[in-house]
Amino acid sequence: MNRTLGLIVLALAFGAPASAQQAAKAGNAEAAKVKVSMCVGCHGIPDYRTAFPSVYHVPKIAGQSADYIAAALNAYRTGERLHPSMQGIAKSLSEQDIADLAAYYSAAAGGASR
Amino acid sequence: MMMRIGVTVLALGLAAHAHAWDADKGAEKAKQVCAACHGETGTEAKVPGAAILAGQYRDYLYHSLLDYKTGKRKNAIMSGQAQALSDADMRNLAAYYARQSGPLKVVR
Repeated sequence: MNRTLGLIVLALAFGAPASAQQAAKAGNAEAAKVKVSMCVGCHGIPDYRTAFPSVYHVPKIAGQSADYIAAALNAYRTGERLHPSMQGIAKSLSEQDIADLAAYYSAAAGGASR
Repeated sequence: MMMRIGVTVLALGLAAHAHAWDADKGAEKAKQVCAACHGETGTEAKVPGAAILAGQYRDYLYHSLLDYKTGKRKNAIMSGQAQALSDADMRNLAAYYARQSGPLKVVR
């Protein structure tokens, strides 16, 4: 009885975050390789700056956490975050695209540091 | 003439002061308000969805904080956190995190 109870508690403890993650689509970094063409023109160039609407460095996204990348793209989609180019791009992405790109860039830390 | 030069020097001095990016002061602030979610040097996402900050571009970090503070960018946690930061705090924090080494990179 106690053991059963323990297992239930354990399942609840570990099950909650697992099911929360399942709500978001699983990303496939390999599938993203044909989708990054729209990203690399800005995010793939060291020291690249946005020109509009204000000038600052385009963020480094390789090595960033997958959750954060997905949250950022979703925030651009919903308008919680505003940037003309990024809103346009994010609205063109499916949930699967977002998951794949998040997986790709979070795992892409192996490149040259610059 | 002398007065004009004086005013120019003063203006330059104020401008330089307004744009000070003091990473050491940023380190103090970071320990107090950012470390719990971003890790002491900004290399971690201690809560889901938190960004890795270490080694990110300084002007981007500052811009992000500014957007959170002005409401241009919305986030349940960061919108509130940014309200408590002065412009100098935001510049200092940006300078601190940009100076740290971490996993962020530019790749094609």
